[in-house]
Amino acid sequence: MGVVSEKAQLSAAEDFASALGKMEGVVSSVDKRSSGTQIRPVVNLIISPISWRNVAESLRADHGVDYCSMITGIHWPDADDKQWEVIYHFLRTGVKNPPILDGVVQPIITQPSKLKGAEMPLEIQISIPLGETRNPEVASIQDIWVGADWNEKETWDLVGIDFVGHEGMRRVLQPHETPKGYHPLQKQHKLRYHNFEEMYDDVQGFKRKPADSERIK
Amino acid sequence: MAEMWISMGPQHPMTHGLWTLKVKVDGETVVDTEPDLGYIHRGVEKICESRDFTQITTYCDRLCYASANTWSHAYIYAAEDLLGVEVPERAEYIRLVAVELQRIASHLMWLGAYGPDIGNLTVMVWCLREREMMMDLLQELGGSRMHYNFPRVGGVKRDLPHGFAMRARHKLSLFLDRIQEYESLFDESTIFLIRSQGVGYAKPEEMINHGVSGPNLRAGGVNHDIRTSHPYSVYSELDWSPAVERSSIKGADCYDRYRIRVEEMIQSANLVLQALDKMPGGAETYHEPGDPKILAKAPSRAPEGTSGSHHFEDSRGESMFYIAGGGEGRGKMPYRVSIRSPIFITIPYASKCMIGYKVADIPAIMGSFDPCIGETDR
Repeated sequence: MGVVSEKAQLSAAEDFASALGKMEGVVSSVDKRSSGTQIRPVVNLIISPISWRNVAESLRADHGVDYCSMITGIHWPDADDKQWEVIYHFLRTGVKNPPILDGVVQPIITQPSKLKGAEMPLEIQISIPLGETRNPEVASIQDIWVGADWNEKETWDLVGIDFVGHEGMRRVLQPHETPKGYHPLQKQHKLRYHNFEEMYDDVQGFKRKPADSERIK
Repeated sequence: MAEMWISMGPQHPMTHGLWTLKVKVDGETVVDTEPDLGYIHRGVEKICESRDFTQITTYCDRLCYASANTWSHAYIYAAEDLLGVEVPERAEYIRLVAVELQRIASHLMWLGAYGPDIGNLTVMVWCLREREMMMDLLQELGGSRMHYNFPRVGGVKRDLPHGFAMRARHKLSLFLDRIQEYESLFDESTIFLIRSQGVGYAKPEEMINHGVSGPNLRAGGVNHDIRTSHPYSVYSELDWSPAVERSSIKGADCYDRYRIRVEEMIQSANLVLQALDKMPGGAETYHEPGDPKILAKAPSRAPEGTSGSHHFEDSRGESMFYIAGGGEGRGKMPYRVSIRSPIFITIPYASKCMIGYKVADIPAIMGSFDPCIGETDR
């Protein structure tokens, strides 16, 4: 039965990228990555935070992107062009409920090697750079993909990026009583044993002060 | 009767780990649920920012104690994407063997834990006996029984040892025989059927919108699999197709989720047998550790502005790593590592699935989704 065809997936990715590239506030490209025997195309989109909500609705409604895989927040305190970045990973899976015939479910067995065009599974990576601010925020997509719900909770909990319109935001991985404004993956919080060479010379850390001892949280 | 909230967990046999399921009950009926996670959050993502690319595999092994190999491989593919490494074909075959053996061991662990959940203790002992065979094989590869630390950036730690292929073929054929015994143990047990059939229905479209993937999704009668839709490794070279279950009209129930895992074990055993046959250079040749046939040279630094990601079919669904390069030590360490855990996304959905059923159905429904708290809390 085999796997998806490399050529068809690449051309589907290019079609997808050029269709998205026409939308306002979107820069699109196709990355050719490889792991194993086949080229793995990844559609790369850079979207401005203002048009994100629009693009997200169109991705779900017009382009059949049905699966939100992961949301990553990154804190870039030293970068020139951005201070925060939110990265979304989506898949287009094309999963449908199997039909029922005479009271029996008929499983959908697609032939991956014969898929093409809009049925083709795709990988989409979306980056939304945010400028210098103490309160980074982007629009929530919780109501479009329910799978984004807990991803957004986690990103707020660990990185401190606010998702506007998210209902029921709360701490998920850290204790509920964690102080307000404490998000450990922001870069001002350092690990004590962060220096690789030091780690072996002074294993127990007696000689050293924690790198963030004089910083204000 | 008045509704009230009760806490199942953090120390409840249903949880398979350390987390709390808050259940709102009306008499015996579940009205609402709210999962509460994070009891064993270790901050792996933060720790990874101060380790170099080869050291991180050790931490990824410990994400899930039942399926260590798949997690370290999920990381290694993302790291290779970031560093731009081309892996030798033989190493890819060896990885496939390691990952699929781990998938069998993980599903056996699940089956062994699910039996006692719903009143069938015998099956636990049987499953752990078979899991032992897989662990022996994995121990030959990685050197330890639980956290193998087997893949390397650019290849694998060591080649298949002498006689491994013979022992693997022998054990897998024994396993394929014995798996029929389990099927009869479950499928002919009235208690198991009563407790697993007709509870916890889940429809594929709803599952995909909620981010549920892997065996739980395929139990609903669709054949979406990362290994065929976004192929990596050498899955494209082998003759196979993902296992799909014919669900009931209302969607996949707990029984379908049990069936799909049994089918997947047979599938994985066949994949391993095929890979051993097709391995370039033959499965019986041995290369010393570090030989270019099994380990390619890899750069140790990733410059700023680069990133790597990889979707991976884990035993429990789609796992994923995203790595941004250019961290401390002029790119020796990653700037940010982000982990997608399939069960972190599945637990909220599974909790929604049990609304409307009785309190006694909660262990049957929750257990059937195969929760693993190590990877959930990271």
